[in-house]
Parts: sequence; structure tokens; C-alpha cells
Amino acid sequence: MKFPYYPGCTLYTKAKPLNTSMQATFGALGVEIVELPHWYCCGTTFTLARDNRMSLIAPLRILAKAQKEDSRVLVPCSVCYNTLKRTNYILKQDPEVLQILNEHLEESYDGGEQVVHPLEFFRDNKERVKSKIVKDLKGMKLGCYYGCLLLRPEEEIQFDDPESPTIFEEFVSLIGAEPVEFPLKVECCGSYLVVNSPEAAVEATYRLLKNARGNGAEAIVTSCPLCHYNLDALQAKIKGVHSEFRDIPIFYFTQILAIALGLGADSAGLSQNKVSPISLLKEHNLT
Amino acid sequence: MNKILKEKDFIKRIEEISNQKISDCYQCGRCTAGCPFAEFMDAPPNQVIRFIQLGLKDDVLQAHGPWFCAACLVCQTRCPRGVDIPRLMEAVRVLHLRAKEGLIDVDSIDKELLLDAPPLAFMSAFSKYTY
Repeated sequence: MKFPYYPGCTLYTKAKPLNTSMQATFGALGVEIVELPHWYCCGTTFTLARDNRMSLIAPLRILAKAQKEDSRVLVPCSVCYNTLKRTNYILKQDPEVLQILNEHLEESYDGGEQVVHPLEFFRDNKERVKSKIVKDLKGMKLGCYYGCLLLRPEEEIQFDDPESPTIFEEFVSLIGAEPVEFPLKVECCGSYLVVNSPEAAVEATYRLLKNARGNGAEAIVTSCPLCHYNLDALQAKIKGVHSEFRDIPIFYFTQILAIALGLGADSAGLSQNKVSPISLLKEHNLT
Repeated sequence: MNKILKEKDFIKRIEEISNQKISDCYQCGRCTAGCPFAEFMDAPPNQVIRFIQLGLKDDVLQAHGPWFCAACLVCQTRCPRGVDIPRLMEAVRVLHLRAKEGLIDVDSIDKELLLDAPPLAFMSAFSKYTY
């Protein structure tokens, strides 16, 4: 099975472990993920100003290129996933915008390229995943952190219920670990506020990590490179404000899948996690 | 600030940019109740909306609230009137930014963060705080 793949910029720089573990896990599942021949930045955060059409150009160009390869494209980064899906929605709703942008880019895109997140792929291919699990993750308590961009806006993203989603918990159960529910799993980590209002991001991150820990999570799994950075890297800053805070490891969902598939710490890219998950994995006899 | 104050029809401009009808909001406050960053805002989302409804331009433009909105869309999901509140916050920011106010100061970004954070953090901040 082949699947066109759009990694996005961050997976080549600060989120290399997500790329490494994507490649390793899909390879082990017998799926060849093929990077789009030419791709660009999606422009990150989707514009909310109705009169800003410039910011639709980058995502439309990616979608048009992807459609030439296949009717669907695999996108693991939550930010890219959100931007591409919201762009598709606008292009479907507003034929005039689609026409103007197509003419500008000399493309003939129709707004129909299917953007697929790996969690959706795993949900739809449960047996394929289950049959390859070799490590026993039983008893490992993982908090599933969705963040914002996989869920909202519901009408445009249509990923899962925006208030009480379950796709991540189903994934964690599928690979043999124990999903931990915590109320703040759908709340914002602070996102790009970390750049110019870091105190807000530190507080938001503290709240949700404490909430996950308080509900029994030993570690957290997420899919968004920006959430991963905030949850992982800001823990050092949280300790400066809240002295009682205890570290909690943050996995990309494909990192923990790589462990379950027995692909080892290197394939999972675990050495780049700031809060090391190694001692937790040892406790569970997984290294 | 002067350039913005010359705007003749402030409410209409906000509605155009946001594509929202400001009178749809009936001030239940659910947006503010669920906003993860309300505690950092001088005027939280429902108050900024009230200022817009009343045409209180100066109060809207002086509020810091919209700058703490991370466009997480929790309020948009929960609004019983279907108001896309983050689009209103973006419209307020955009009025400033297009008048070249409130632009992100790259030199003031923490150097350690610059080396450490993923590029999409900066790309997102630049797309939100430039015009």
C-alpha cells in the first residue's frame, strides 16, 4: 500500500522524532508513505480575516500538488492538517475564491483532496495495527491530549466530537496501553502565545499537565508539534513558577506506536524528548 | 491609533472583516467562561463584543484581550448563538495591524526560545501579528 505524505516544515527541523517515527511505524505496518515531490510550508495558522485570501495560496498549492499524486494525502502535523482542511472547506463553499486562486496559481484544483490524519488511518486499519504489536504496554497509563487543531472548528474539520472526542483513546487502547481521561484534553496549550506571551502558555500548560497527572496519567501522547513543544519544553519554566510540579513525559503518538511495534528507542526518536521517557519505559519493561 | 479612529463605520468594518453579525451575541458570557486565557485579559471576549455592539471604538482598540486570544476556538464551539468569536478577535487585531500597530517585535523574542522552539511557533506568531 502506498500513501502520499505531506510532512510539513516542522517535521524536518524541531519535530524530527515525529517524522522518524512516522516513517518507521508506517514501514512496519507495510504502508509505503511517499513524500510529495514538491511541497512548501502550509502557512501555519489559518487566517480568520475573511478578506485575507493571500494566506489561502500556500495551502491550495499543496492540495493541488497532492491531488496530482492521489485523491488523499497523509498529514501528521495538527497545524498543517487544520490549515489544509479549513482551506478545502472554504474552497468548496466559495467557488469564486477557488476560481480566483486557481487562475492566479495556474492550477485546476477542485477542493476535493482528502486530508487524512494518521489517527484516522489507524482507526480505519485496526487489524493491520493490532497484528503487528509485539510489546506489551498493558498498564501504561497515557493521557490523550488532542489540543485544538484536530477538533475545531467541528463543521470544517469533522475529525471527532470537539468536546468529548475518543479517537485518541481508541488508538491507545488498540496498541495495548491504558487511556486516561482528563477534562482538559481538548483545551489549548497556549500555542503561539509562547512567542510573545510566554507566561500565558506556561500557565495553560501547567493547568493541563496537572489535570492529566491528577487523573492518573504517567505520560501524555499528542500529535501536534507545537503542543509537544509547549508541553515538553515549558515544564522547566513551570517548575520556576509552581515548585510542586512534577515532570511528565510527552510522546508523539507515533513514538509510542513505535515502542509497541518493537522498533526501539532510535526509531521512536526518544532521545530528543526534553523530559526523558526512558525511566518510565524501563518501569514497564519496554526498553 | 489616529488612522483607525478615522474609520467612519466601525461596527460595519468589524463585521466585514470577521463575517460575523455582532448583534447575534446576547451576552451569555459562555465564551469568557470557557476561555483558557480570560485571566490574562483586561477585557475578556464577551466584554470586547459588548464594546463593539455599543460602537465603543476606543474601548475596543485599547483592550488587550484580543491579543491573548490564541484562536483555540473553544468559544466558537460553545457559543449558543453560533458566533465565531475568534474571528471577531482577529478583526480587532487586524484593524491595529493594518494601521501598523501591535506588530510583533522580532528583536524582543527570547533568544533561547528562538533557537529552541519549532518554526511553526514563529510562523504562527508572525502570521497573527503582522499584516
